[in-house]
Amino acid sequence: MWSSLALLAVAVSPVLAGVQEVWWNLTYIQDANPDGLAPRRVIGVNGTWPPPPLDVNDTDILVVHTLNSLDKPATLHHHGMFFNSTSWMDGALAVSQCGIPPGDSFDYVIPVNTSGQLGTYWVHSHANGQYVDGLRAPFLVHPQQEKHHYDEEFTVVLGDWYHDEHADLLKQFISVANPGGAEPVPDSALIYFAQNATYLGPIAGTSPDPVTAAVGFNENATLSFEPGKTYRLRVVNTSAFAMFFFWIDGHEMRIIEVDGTDVEEYPIDLISVTVAQRYSILVTARNDTSANWAIHANMDTDMFDTVPDALNPNVTSSITYNSSAPLTDLGFVDEYFDVPDLDLVPLVVEPMVPATKTVELEVLFDTLDDGTNRAMFNMITYNSPLVPAVLSQVTLGENATIQEAYGPYSIVLDHLEVFDIVLKNGDAGKHPFHLHGHKMQLIGRAEDYTSDDPSLNPPIVEGQANPVRRDTVQVPSMNSVTMRVIADNPGVWFFHCHIEWHLEVGLAVQFVEAPIQAQERNGIPQVIYDQCQAQGIPTSGNAAGHVSATDLTGLPLGPFPQILGWRPKGIGAMTGCVLTATIGMLAVTWYALGGHISEAEMEHEARQQQEAKEKRGKFFGLLKQKA
Amino acid sequence: MGKNVFSVPIFFIVFRETLEAAIIVSVLLGLVEQIVRDDPGRLSPSPPPPPSPVEKPEGSGTGSGELNNQPELVHQEDNEVRAKRLIRKMRIQIFAGSFLGLFFALAIGAAFIAVWFTQASDLWSKSEELWEGIFELIASLIIFVMGVTMLRMDRAKVKWRVKLQRAFEGKQVDGRTKAGKWVLFILPFITVLREGMEAVIFVGGVSLGQPATAIPLATVIGIICGLICGFLIYAFASRTTLTVFMVAMTNFLLLIGAGLFSRSIGAFQENAFNNLLGADVDDAGAAGDGPGSYDVRGNVWHLNCCNPESKFDGQGWTIFNAIFGWTNNATIGTVLGYVFYWLAVVAVLIYMKFKEGRTKLFGRESAAGVRRRERAALDRGDSEASVGKE
Repeated sequence: MWSSLALLAVAVSPVLAGVQEVWWNLTYIQDANPDGLAPRRVIGVNGTWPPPPLDVNDTDILVVHTLNSLDKPATLHHHGMFFNSTSWMDGALAVSQCGIPPGDSFDYVIPVNTSGQLGTYWVHSHANGQYVDGLRAPFLVHPQQEKHHYDEEFTVVLGDWYHDEHADLLKQFISVANPGGAEPVPDSALIYFAQNATYLGPIAGTSPDPVTAAVGFNENATLSFEPGKTYRLRVVNTSAFAMFFFWIDGHEMRIIEVDGTDVEEYPIDLISVTVAQRYSILVTARNDTSANWAIHANMDTDMFDTVPDALNPNVTSSITYNSSAPLTDLGFVDEYFDVPDLDLVPLVVEPMVPATKTVELEVLFDTLDDGTNRAMFNMITYNSPLVPAVLSQVTLGENATIQEAYGPYSIVLDHLEVFDIVLKNGDAGKHPFHLHGHKMQLIGRAEDYTSDDPSLNPPIVEGQANPVRRDTVQVPSMNSVTMRVIADNPGVWFFHCHIEWHLEVGLAVQFVEAPIQAQERNGIPQVIYDQCQAQGIPTSGNAAGHVSATDLTGLPLGPFPQILGWRPKGIGAMTGCVLTATIGMLAVTWYALGGHISEAEMEHEARQQQEAKEKRGKFFGLLKQKA
Repeated sequence: MGKNVFSVPIFFIVFRETLEAAIIVSVLLGLVEQIVRDDPGRLSPSPPPPPSPVEKPEGSGTGSGELNNQPELVHQEDNEVRAKRLIRKMRIQIFAGSFLGLFFALAIGAAFIAVWFTQASDLWSKSEELWEGIFELIASLIIFVMGVTMLRMDRAKVKWRVKLQRAFEGKQVDGRTKAGKWVLFILPFITVLREGMEAVIFVGGVSLGQPATAIPLATVIGIICGLICGFLIYAFASRTTLTVFMVAMTNFLLLIGAGLFSRSIGAFQENAFNNLLGADVDDAGAAGDGPGSYDVRGNVWHLNCCNPESKFDGQGWTIFNAIFGWTNNATIGTVLGYVFYWLAVVAVLIYMKFKEGRTKLFGRESAAGVRRRERAALDRGDSEASVGKE
């Protein structure tokens, strides 16, 4: 099992000095009860939950030796990492690998030393919603010298929490019984802290649940502040569904990092962190220690179809100056708002370069022809291809540049092509969109993409000197966001809504980037092929596993938008109805006419009937008439 | 608006019941003149021999006895006056019975509907579709029976005449009961009451799926139309006209019935779908029309318009729905329901016509058919015989 590890050790030996290895055994853990409301089975690592935080330096290569002890294929996705020219390490199931079969292992190599990436990321399963069941942890990359100055740092992990397992909820979600597509509403929210690759324990004196006793959650968790010091808080939203509004009573915040991009200090009262987004904020401690202060993480309930009475969407934790001082909780803020992320200015200047391609993606949700509610980009709902696109890309030869070969939800890009993604959200909800393997320059937002009014739908300003770069962008309803991306990363990269429920109903496309260069740089390890074959998944050819570029026979597609109106079935049925009604009315006429009975006959019959009736007596002869 | 003010099924039901009552009353009115002016013997042209005039005085104590004194009177003038007076008296009896019956029927009906809409309304607010389905099913079945039997209404006149004659004859024969005096009152009373109750139960059943405001206008217009048609039939009593009229009415009724039956299946299916969703589909899925507003399983057609239940553009479609059972969302169940309702109508009519001896089925004859043929042969034989004698 660990033999592959030995091979890898040889493979990476030239830079062995910086290799940081961790061994992750993915396991189920019974009866975890972090919110103290309901014990449930979770997916943890090495017998513990939450999975350990990852902390590496920017000179390191991180190797995560992953053993899948679950009963389903699993993957790990290091969210935001570039994996330049090695997209098979990206961990997106059915896009970049077939998943680690149960009992098998895979070594994820994250070459932080060459990616030039710093800051706050996270790691989570990208298979079958496993991260919703708990397989998620923060992942930090520290530079030798931070650009911003602070005394100490903490990681703040936010997450929504379900008391039922993802697979069960998914069955209810994608169902004819849920035509409106109401997403499962979380049962509670979690906030917990980490520092130096360790989670902070619970406040002394609290009695946490034994399974997760090492970690403090919500009001059992606290951050210790010392007066006058400045702290960096790295806020990560690991939710499946919920966006959080985060603020600290009695303290001001300054944003200094967004999705791994260091930015100029940006003072703000509260931050909105949607699913998979990260912000680092600087918080300067107060000088008085007479009170402790509440940390607030309120779930955005706008996206919840219902807010059950039992749900407390607003969780608090605290900042402790003095364990004997009282806690000050100022309650609600006046107004929620989204972080105006276009106003943030990266410290490393990267000007916008002209784009040569525009990819417009319009989001729509609807009840499709199988009666379930699905999500669509440009009216196409995503289905996993039979062959992971990473394998199609390197096995299709010259056909690899033909977009159709990868399935209808794929976009092929040339090497180093600069392209715009215009994400138009035609849905009533807000959605966080994530592009794998890249950071996107956010170059424009429109409040209403259907509008002709330039104040609501402004044109893109070319030549912006330094637009903000991030890997996950929030798009409110009817808004559009334009993102400029350079296709400098040969491979296949998933682009999807990071709300897990929406990914599962097909709100995704795959960018097939620089196929020819990807073939040249192909270094897909044999284990990728082996693990596909072990699951009976084809490893070459187009999306459906055929050599041809265009023959997609057998490729799972649909469901499709409903076609309403008069279709042959309906016309036939209507004709049948009209026909039988006509026959029926003719029968009525036929009955009334013909076989004429004369008055005399009628009278005769009537008399006979009356006589028979009298003979029979009343009530069908039950009461015999007196003779 | 259409649905809230005028309920088409209720109109037809009330119309039909009124018409039937009107026919019966008109037969009675016609009979009165016959009884008074004509030889009682003419009342019964067929075999039962007219009771001998000798017996008549025995019934002199009864109301009908009065007229039997007639032959004994000498003066024609007196006769005429007496007859007119008698006819008026009898007519008053008939109308009194009719109106009293109508009054009772309306009173009971009003109480019935009041109870429905006040006491029981919260009962079906929870599972509206289920109740709608149940009542539509009941209504469609009653309409089925009503529609099919309505075709025999051209025989109602004869039937009632026979019935009445027997009533009178009975009095004359045994003369031991005083009921005869009231027969002209009781018969219309019971008839009107019965038809009225029928209409009320029906109106109640049908109206449950509809707002209370849709009932009064439809009822009143139904009654008026029924009375007018009843009078026309009475006045110009030609059997052909009546038959044509009956055929048209029956077809209308059955169209409504088939639509109701189909709608009841639709309502049951929607109820099942709502149960599956755990909420009304308008809340859990999409309100109105289009994807999400209906169950795709077993759907045959769905139009993104023309919804008879729509509050905004349902005007014309509501009427279309009431008369033909139109829906913008048909399922296999509703389509088959519609088709089989009509097939059942056809089957029953064929069987009835066969049973009445008016048609052969696969070369076979019913008992009534055999009887009719034999009677016809007998008549022919008699006439031939008589011809032969001459």
